[in-house]
Amino acid sequence: MLRLDGVSVRFGGLAALTDVSFEVAKGEILGLVGPNGAGKTTLFNTISGLVKPRGRIVFDGRDVTSKALHQRARVGIGRTFQIPQPMHQLTVRENLEVAQVFGAGALEPARIDEILAVMELSHKADADAATALALQELKRLEIAKALAIRPRVLLLDEVLAGLESRAKRLFMLKLKELHALYGLTIVVVEHDIETISNLCSRAVVLDFGRLIADGTPEEVFRNPDVVKSYTGGTH
Amino acid sequence: MFELVLQAVFSGVLVGSVYALVALGLAVTFGAMRIINLAHGELVLLAAYMAYVVEGRFGLNPWAAIPLALVVVVSLSWVVFKAIDRIREHRELNSLILTFAVGIVLTNAILLIFASDVRSTSSPILQDAISFGDLFAMKGEIVAFCVSLVLMAVLWWWLKKSWYGRAVRAVSSNRSAAALMGIDPARIETASFLVAGALASFAGIALYTMSVVQPAVGHGFTVKAFIVTVLAGVGSIPGVFLGAILLGVTEALTVTLASSALQELAGMVLFLLVLFFLPNGLFGASARRG
Amino acid sequence: MSAKPASSGATTAFLAGAALLVAAAAPIVLGLGNYALGLLVSALVLSGLALSWALLGNLGGMVSFGHAAFFGVGAYASALASARLGVPVAVAVPLGGVIASASALTMLPTLRLSGPYFALAILAYAQIFRILATEATPITGGAAGLQRYPALPTVFGFDLSTRTGSYVLVLVVLTLFVGIYVAIRRSHVGTALRAIAESEVATRVVGVDSVRLKAWMLILSAFMAGVFGALNAHVIGFLEPDYAFGGTWSVMPIIAAVFGGYHTVLGPIFGAVVIYLFDQLVAKSLIPVGHEILLGLVLAAMVLVAPNGISGLVGGVFDRIKGGRRHAAT
Repeated sequence: MLRLDGVSVRFGGLAALTDVSFEVAKGEILGLVGPNGAGKTTLFNTISGLVKPRGRIVFDGRDVTSKALHQRARVGIGRTFQIPQPMHQLTVRENLEVAQVFGAGALEPARIDEILAVMELSHKADADAATALALQELKRLEIAKALAIRPRVLLLDEVLAGLESRAKRLFMLKLKELHALYGLTIVVVEHDIETISNLCSRAVVLDFGRLIADGTPEEVFRNPDVVKSYTGGTH
Repeated sequence: MFELVLQAVFSGVLVGSVYALVALGLAVTFGAMRIINLAHGELVLLAAYMAYVVEGRFGLNPWAAIPLALVVVVSLSWVVFKAIDRIREHRELNSLILTFAVGIVLTNAILLIFASDVRSTSSPILQDAISFGDLFAMKGEIVAFCVSLVLMAVLWWWLKKSWYGRAVRAVSSNRSAAALMGIDPARIETASFLVAGALASFAGIALYTMSVVQPAVGHGFTVKAFIVTVLAGVGSIPGVFLGAILLGVTEALTVTLASSALQELAGMVLFLLVLFFLPNGLFGASARRG
Repeated sequence: MSAKPASSGATTAFLAGAALLVAAAAPIVLGLGNYALGLLVSALVLSGLALSWALLGNLGGMVSFGHAAFFGVGAYASALASARLGVPVAVAVPLGGVIASASALTMLPTLRLSGPYFALAILAYAQIFRILATEATPITGGAAGLQRYPALPTVFGFDLSTRTGSYVLVLVVLTLFVGIYVAIRRSHVGTALRAIAESEVATRVVGVDSVRLKAWMLILSAFMAGVFGALNAHVIGFLEPDYAFGGTWSVMPIIAAVFGGYHTVLGPIFGAVVIYLFDQLVAKSLIPVGHEILLGLVLAAMVLVAPNGISGLVGGVFDRIKGGRRHAAT
């Protein structure tokens, strides 16, 4: 479904990503792991189109490396931001409408109602998205917006950050529900080893912008390089 | 021909140094508050008119107007800051419109008080010519140039070395982090407006001594200052100096080689070229793209 | 800005529409003299310009400090087309709008700029156009300006060059543009544009081509401003660069729209009429030279006390009266 080939990004003198290559199979839930500053968000930015890398990004057989941000959304790459970014001046419902009309190509009110229900935001449908939602609701809106574009791949950037353990467990169940319901391919960025092991069938590990491991969560977390990067490596 | 060009460059450097002074005032408040004070040019103009009052009314050298200009302009600058501080929402846009309005008020207030006549210094000392080989300058221009250099050095020292100056830099790069370290952003923002007012005072008197002023040019000073900050990129005093020199020289060369009517055109075109093709200005780093 | 339930929006719109029809017909019904009608025509020209400014600010978040650029281009294009190329005025006026839109195409690079940089970049264009108009004497008549170009024509026996005629024409064009603005605002494109002002990346990430949408709004705003510049040119009867591209046409729409409330469609129109009439009838007689100081004070006061303008205040009052209306921000 998604393949990265030799993706590299430099910001001035800093190498944020170096020669990252991996694949995500259709229907997989892949974990993207690594210490802070390893380049996880930068990687998401290259896949979704915020940053232009060297190397290739192939999505569903098509080379999207040169495609602009909004075009990637239209071909089915959906993403959430770590700090939720709702569309200002609009209600929750309008957020989803815009996503649907411009991302999926047509307005389907029934599907919007469905997404609102699944993400438990129906009661806030007419609230101002930027000012009237609590953090958890904002995170759910982030996912709802991404769902509205009819994504084939969903990139989730630390959606569980800032949640306490019960909320985390509920969110993880929700993610599994979405995965089953919409047949999504998902890439999650998370720190928590337990979350990754619970949620993902595969994991890749980044350290200082390089891919250092690729396998099942059990394999990856037994990998000595990975252990070292988590405990010994500083940035 | 070559002498004409050289003279133009020389004059351009001299006037550019004062543009730098004007631009620095704008840059300091932008750095501390991310706000562009569109009334800054009018504050400079006000200082120029203070020099006119001191010279015309009391027969003194215009530079003797420094104390008066400082009092008037710095207080006014503080009032503008207080007004901006009261803005609750959409601070960037509303402060732009507010300072724009203040600029209109000041320009017309000056018009009402001083009439629309063109004013310039009549001091014989300052108008006296001084020569450097084949190049000529008015003594007033040289004095203004020196004052500008001294003030730029003082500002550079203040920002680099003094505690207050370093706090300004901290607030401008990361406001909330600075607050967490015990720096009160509000006091820093106030300080930046006061410093900007002080810079405007000196710049206004300098402009009075080396050029002509009338109520309408206040707006033009703001635009020139803005052009210079765009040329320089944010965060670099030497950059502001060089950008201002570039503007001054471009204008002087346009007047010499083309016509004085195209002088403004040259500045505008330079401005747009840098905006479009050099997003970080010529010398510094900035976040100008939305 | 809070999200409005549809029902109260429709009632407000109906009331506003009815009030407007009455207000618009009144000057003719009451038989106001030429001077008064002339004032109103100028006020409506400013309204149109303020509307175009507010459209650009609201739908895409682009605040311009140089709308005189489009106003002047439209004026000169229409005057020159009708005088030199023999184009009928009825065609020349919309043509002026089109040429103004074309000039907006040269401004496309400015769309990547943020707030104040965009505002002043447009101002730079206005200055450049003014200087070009002054220097290109063989084409534009230079600093001396243009005088011998046709006035508004007679259409179906109705002479549009009279005060009454021009009043009706400007009013009709204004109403048409209001309709276009409302239609866009209500569409999905309008919804997306409202979000682009403060959260452009969030819209792009869900597939909105924000750059293209903003470009369309710039072109539309330029068209509207250009048409009113052209209308004004044929009403006034002469043009010169300092007038057509004058700072007044950049400053007054801002004051008018902020005063009236630029988040609403009718706010800028109301604001322009009030501000213009206040300036001409009150301010100028109080302070003949420097009367702009009063306008500056009004603008400053509005930003501090009522940043959403008069229509914002009125909307707030309606909210309190209606009581049960859901407020978005808790």
